Amino acid sequence: MKMNIHIVAGVLAGGLLLNPLVSTSSFGQTTDSTAAEQPFVNQPQGGAEKFLLAGEVSTLWQSNQIHGLPSTNSFGADPLGLMLMPLVKITDRLFLDVQVAVTANPAPGGGASASLNEAIIYYKLVSGVNVFAGNFQPRWGLYEGILDDFTNRYCSTPVGMGIGAATESGVGIQGGLQTGYSKLSYQLYIANGPQLIVDSTGAQNGQLNYGNYTDNNKSKAIGGSLGFLPFSNSNLEIGVSGQYTPKTGDAGTAFENISSTSYAVHLNYYHVFNPLMVRLQGQYEYTQTQGFDLYTNSSDTALLVPKFTNQLSGWYGGITFRLSGSESMFLSNLELGGRLSNLTMPKDALWGGNPINQTTICLTYWFTWKTPLNIAYDIYTQSGSPTQTALTVRGMWFF
Amino acid sequence: MKNRIGIKTTLIAITIAIASTLTINGCKVPEGIASKSGAQLWGENCNRCHNAPDPHTFSDDQWDAAVEHMHQKAILTDVETKKIVEFLKSAN
Repeated sequence: MKMNIHIVAGVLAGGLLLNPLVSTSSFGQTTDSTAAEQPFVNQPQGGAEKFLLAGEVSTLWQSNQIHGLPSTNSFGADPLGLMLMPLVKITDRLFLDVQVAVTANPAPGGGASASLNEAIIYYKLVSGVNVFAGNFQPRWGLYEGILDDFTNRYCSTPVGMGIGAATESGVGIQGGLQTGYSKLSYQLYIANGPQLIVDSTGAQNGQLNYGNYTDNNKSKAIGGSLGFLPFSNSNLEIGVSGQYTPKTGDAGTAFENISSTSYAVHLNYYHVFNPLMVRLQGQYEYTQTQGFDLYTNSSDTALLVPKFTNQLSGWYGGITFRLSGSESMFLSNLELGGRLSNLTMPKDALWGGNPINQTTICLTYWFTWKTPLNIAYDIYTQSGSPTQTALTVRGMWFF
Repeated sequence: MKNRIGIKTTLIAITIAIASTLTINGCKVPEGIASKSGAQLWGENCNRCHNAPDPHTFSDDQWDAAVEHMHQKAILTDVETKKIVEFLKSAN
């Protein structure tokens, strides 16, 4: 494992060092004669940087009902719903991609706080090979890894998602390749990886923390994904993603060598059967933390955590319909979606329980290509618990 | 040991999948693919995940940054990225 990581790191470092020599393009200045001979030069010049401040603003109203209890409604836990994405194309090879979420503090007079979702620097080595480093969301199936709100046509989050690789700090390599009529996309990375939670109460024992800027041991996670688009019009993508972390526990503790394995498979298909556009999406993901069986709070036997197999799985599948070819502008801007999702947790963990099922129906009206208004109805069922429903109205504006 | 076997198996499977695809399709880009216009690639690739953007949305420099973002996020090929950004700029 260590050797594999060293090989990957060596290849990345070697590529970065050698590339300026073989491509004649570098961050440094070149002589005028070199520049004249090489029209494809990426040295920074005055006003050469390309900048865009993208992002999204959203607001929502939600009514929640637990069977047998009075309903409640609110204007969302985060009424601000602001996300900023400064994008800087520094040269033809160098690109900076940042994503900052601004969250309102629900307490009266609480103001707002900002958190860094992503900060990635990309460098194009050669065609189809890009090196990246920073704080990034790995390409993890279909739902995670790209701008979720922008691609989620069901308003709410599928209950079965969020298992497996999340935000990581590390380095990687990725690219897209045309292979005849089909296409491939790939990503490989090494990162700090998830950290095992072992708390004194046992309430979260066995869960994994992601988004770690500092590592809790010397071991690194290795992950990757492969997307395959078999048709020449790119309307079908099937893909696999995986991540392996040999050590998730704190260094020097009994839990250090507990490993974690996650994978995901996904499908994304769209087609226009004029005038009807159909979009079909689905994803399955799975995570297992090996060697985590029994942890107790030694001072309180009442908090004894029962033995459990620490694995989670989730899936979702959805389909949307839009009369995109209709002559009626109103009808062509309407999109109707239905989605099913499931989350299966360790039944005996304090944070686990019976599987949760979610059924979602969502109607979206697109005021413009980037301004949707969603009305969604979610039903959550779990054996042994009352059925919960949520009616959500959400407006969004991407800029 | 078990985990090492798992990683090796995964890496071998990925390698075989890539090699098989390359072998089946060949590395040469067919004329039907190479001749695709930026407008066609814009429609095909953007609509796969979200509505295709209105070409009048951004300035030339902003399109450079926006399409490079999608180049990396959606992992488009370099040729697709170049053609799409040229098409979007042509609307300005």
